[in-house]
Amino acid sequence: MQPFAFSEVPLDAAAYRAALTDPACGGYASFEGWVRDHNEGKRVQRLEYEAFAALAVREGERIVTEAIEKFGVTRAACVHRIGDLRIGELAVWVGVSAPHRGEAFAACRYIIDEVKHRVPIWKKEHYVDGDSGWVNCERCAQAHSPEAEQQDTHGHGREHSLAHAHATDYARQMALPEVGAAGQARLRAASVLVIGAGGLGVPVLQYLTAAGVGRIGIADGDVIEASNLHRQPLYHVADIGQPKAAVASRRLQDLNPDVTVEALSERASAANLPGWLQRYDLVVECSDNFATKFLVNDVAVSLARPAVFASVYQYEGQLQVYLPRAEWPCLRCLWPEAPRDGLVGNCAEAGVLGPVPAALGALQAMQALKILLGLPAEHAPAVHVLDLLGMHWRTLKASRNPGCDHAPRALFAVPADTEALELEYPDLAAAHASGLTLVDIREPWERADDAEGQGIQVHLPLSEILAGAAVLPPDGRYLIVCAHGVRSLALAEHLRAQGYSAYSLAGGLAGVTA
Amino acid sequence: MTAARLIRIQYFAVLREQAGRSEEQIETAAATPAELYEQVRTAHRFTLPRAMLRVAVNDEFCDWSTPLQPGDRVVFIPPVAGG
Repeated sequence: MQPFAFSEVPLDAAAYRAALTDPACGGYASFEGWVRDHNEGKRVQRLEYEAFAALAVREGERIVTEAIEKFGVTRAACVHRIGDLRIGELAVWVGVSAPHRGEAFAACRYIIDEVKHRVPIWKKEHYVDGDSGWVNCERCAQAHSPEAEQQDTHGHGREHSLAHAHATDYARQMALPEVGAAGQARLRAASVLVIGAGGLGVPVLQYLTAAGVGRIGIADGDVIEASNLHRQPLYHVADIGQPKAAVASRRLQDLNPDVTVEALSERASAANLPGWLQRYDLVVECSDNFATKFLVNDVAVSLARPAVFASVYQYEGQLQVYLPRAEWPCLRCLWPEAPRDGLVGNCAEAGVLGPVPAALGALQAMQALKILLGLPAEHAPAVHVLDLLGMHWRTLKASRNPGCDHAPRALFAVPADTEALELEYPDLAAAHASGLTLVDIREPWERADDAEGQGIQVHLPLSEILAGAAVLPPDGRYLIVCAHGVRSLALAEHLRAQGYSAYSLAGGLAGVTA
Repeated sequence: MTAARLIRIQYFAVLREQAGRSEEQIETAAATPAELYEQVRTAHRFTLPRAMLRVAVNDEFCDWSTPLQPGDRVVFIPPVAGG
């Protein structure tokens, strides 16, 4: 006979008993669970049992195997009824045969206790007064707060109890043997700080909230813009202009009232982040700029908090986890030179399809849950590089960089003066008349067939400046020029920090010639 | 004179954009990823200097001076920040 089975027809205890007989056995112990006519003061008329059969059978088999090994019994089995049951009917049967009675009793007790505790089975009671309600199995009930339990026993209206069950029911994730009630309790006790509530942050926030992570912080200083919605569908058209953190926190609170959601409507900075992260167990980095990513890295490393990083570029994404272990690489181990925003990437704002950050954000949520739950996952340091156009996923093994001391560093030298970096001119002639030396940093092939940059004497491709192959005389005053003003702004800031007198042509050549 | 090796290269992010392809297989005399990058940088007019990239050979991040073997799979990755 199967070690564990479900039956939709009445259980036949005599037949099961016969299947366990063995000439070497001197003892047999059995337990029968029956449908009784009352529960918590209510008169019960009949019962319905439901189970996720595939998962439940696997877990049930595991329990019976454990009992056989643990107590050294000869044979053991358990059968659970599902469907509609009347008062007095047999709901569950356990039988154990063994050489002696002691181990037979012990194994029988172990099996019924573990089955009630671990196997995902739901019981719906139909009461004499016509009312009904789902009674969660033990493993689900444990995740409920005492207040919720209180409500359960008092709110007997059918709709009320169903609505309530939906609001707090983590059954489908608790049905995973690796999660269970213990895992759900771990999530409830956990806290996560999410930096950025944009394309990556929205799915991270939604899934962590829905999973029942106890406390979630949302750090974002932006307001919702119309151009956000295609990849941040947590927000609505009517939210445009509202602070992201506040709107996200409202929506998430509606999604799961169990979770404490904290809105931090400020951009993460070296001043506020250490104080914030001290109050959370883990950080998920979902910003859109290098400065924030490296800041989060430095603070996570110094406070020994796990951090989950992701970034996207057009159809691609990179995913990396930092765990506070001595041999584990941090973001700086991989990128010793933190890139200045604007210098890497294309010259115009990179485009993106919504599902790309959504996919990476979902993976970040998955990584965070794995860490919080302590799932038996492979946690080897790596960067996962995903190409969603070609549908490739490469896992690149990373290791601790011996040259990286895991110490926080100032990201970039900040320009000492606060004079505006960007200058606006109606046309190139006006820019020339400013007295500044114009420096065209476009690559040679960008200049090959245009008339836009005519009259500019100095051509230093950005790639050569970055590679250290080209240097500007330090005593000049420069107006840096590129196609759209993105790279020139980054370079002007970089040069200014090094003591140069440098400005960027706002809007680039596209702006002055348009 | 070093013998030519057949190397499979993958490009990501802005490198993929500038190369106009996500991968290619080339015969090269380059002995290290550093030499290989200089070679393809010229061919594809990459704007990023090597110092801003990382390289992985056979799915493991490595030093730019790691000797290349025939049949190696080389991945050049720039850092990306979008979110």
